[in-house]
Amino acid sequence: MPDPLMYALDAVAYAGIFGMLSLSLNLEYGYTNLANFGKVAFFMVGAYVAAVMARMKYPFAVYALVAALVAGFIGLLTSLPALRLREDFLAITMIALGEVMKLIVKNEEWLAGGVWGLSGIPPAVVVQGLSFRERLLVQIALIYGCLVACYVVCELIAKSPYGRVLKTIREDELLAAAYGKNVFRYKACTFALGSAVSGLAGALFAQYMGTVSPYMFEPTVTFSVWMMVILGGPANNTGAVLGAFLVEGFHRSSRLLKDYIGLPLDPINLQVMLTALLVITVVFYRPQGLLKERITPLDRGLLKKLKPMYRRVKTWVRS
Amino acid sequence: MVINWLQVLMNSLVWGCMYLLVAVGLSLTYGLSRFPNFAHAEYVTFGAYMAYMFFSILGLDLYLSVGLAVLSSALLGGLSYVLLFKPLKSRGASLIHLMVASIGLGLLIRHTLMQVFGGGILSFKMIWPCISIGPVVTTPLLLTAIATALIVATLLHILLMKTKLGKAIRATADNPELAAASGIDMDRVSLFTWLLGAALAGFSGVFLAMRSSLVPLLGWKVLLQAFAITLLGGIGSFYGTLAASFILSLSENLGVVALTWLGLSADYRSAVAFIVLVSTLIIKPEGLISTVKRRA
Repeated sequence: MPDPLMYALDAVAYAGIFGMLSLSLNLEYGYTNLANFGKVAFFMVGAYVAAVMARMKYPFAVYALVAALVAGFIGLLTSLPALRLREDFLAITMIALGEVMKLIVKNEEWLAGGVWGLSGIPPAVVVQGLSFRERLLVQIALIYGCLVACYVVCELIAKSPYGRVLKTIREDELLAAAYGKNVFRYKACTFALGSAVSGLAGALFAQYMGTVSPYMFEPTVTFSVWMMVILGGPANNTGAVLGAFLVEGFHRSSRLLKDYIGLPLDPINLQVMLTALLVITVVFYRPQGLLKERITPLDRGLLKKLKPMYRRVKTWVRS
Repeated sequence: MVINWLQVLMNSLVWGCMYLLVAVGLSLTYGLSRFPNFAHAEYVTFGAYMAYMFFSILGLDLYLSVGLAVLSSALLGGLSYVLLFKPLKSRGASLIHLMVASIGLGLLIRHTLMQVFGGGILSFKMIWPCISIGPVVTTPLLLTAIATALIVATLLHILLMKTKLGKAIRATADNPELAAASGIDMDRVSLFTWLLGAALAGFSGVFLAMRSSLVPLLGWKVLLQAFAITLLGGIGSFYGTLAASFILSLSENLGVVALTWLGLSADYRSAVAFIVLVSTLIIKPEGLISTVKRRA
């Protein structure tokens, strides 16, 4: 008899890890309008860096940091060619990057264990004499500690002048450039930061699972994260985390549905089909997501001030 | 190590033809509707599975099954335009929303196929005799594929250059407002392009599946190459796509030679497409022949 509580706790841990991915995509897509369709690549890089280093007995703090840095660096490097171009070019580059990264870990057996992956990754926090359930609770505490830290950082960025520049870039790049902001640099920094957060989530994932393999990092992972942000509400950090919980809950319940109702469908197929249908429905009928972007009073005042300036800049640019 | 260079050229020709059939539709719909359709890969897979269903399960004639498969693939492409992308565009969906919807549609199609036909490897159970032309070894299937692609390319050239419909397609890709103002029925032109693109994708899927085997990721595996070709050739440009297909397949095959020489896995051949893609974005983001404005 499987333990229902363990199943629930496992879902909670997953939702926490995906919440971080969702927050990082929200930073990129929600605030800056960067279409990162290769989220899974950075998640995978983080997980593999962590797996390799954890097996060499490095402490969690060290390998989590390295995982974040490596993922952030790869994000910065690969996004540079596409960042000056339209959104779709970044999307295509990133989706291709996801495939190429998977190719590398599948083929470099000496480094990443090839198709078999790496196993025997020790958990980050080892406390002697705990039951299986209690160890899961320790994991959840660690994951949610990181999630809260990410949330605070994302909220601080969103509310800071830096975040307002990002939103301006999202609404009108020309306007941001007219104010002397280096749009390209803002975009590159945001992309690197988002990738670093995904790398950190990957490190947490690797030590939580205890094993990594290329088959954990299919493009459907990216799609799930997009679904979380779009469903929860882009440019709303609470929405992004809420989306992670909803989508994870949805995934789990579609699996339960299969087990208890006995639908003659493969659970993975059912799950992906329902997710895809849901995302198409949301894009159709509620593209702003469940929670709308909150416009704070300061922003509203700013908007009022900006509107005439914006018009002046636009007429100036056109003339 | 002795390298059979003629065989390398032959392989490049075969793959170039395959890629051309996949990428032409992607490029034309991208140029016309202004967003990359990630579900295009699934039209390839869908065509292959339909051919399998008609030929191996229902036991129809080979040519008839291929014809029906191409038709059903075209139908899928047309339906996805009419039922999903056109209404989304008229609702004013952003570029990113269109891309997300196309990925969603692609996953929906792929997993529906996996549900119906199973996720395993299927085969057409056909054995092709080997034909040796000098030092080059090939099969009738591959020769048919080359002939088909060349005929399709010629017909497309005539369509795009000589007929009114082709001119309308090019005009719409070039400047939609001006085309609409000139009295071109944009809906009809778009629908035709989507039907045509999906049909060609389905056709290539049949060849790809008959050449090796039929797997749910059949189309997804050539999507990266198709995008590299589309960007290299210039979005919406037929001649650019034509040239880029053969450039990419040649560099891939040379890449495989280089990889073997370096002692690396030949699986890295799709990394060549990635390199081509990124270099295009760095060096010539508008592609070989530019039709659509690239910068935001």
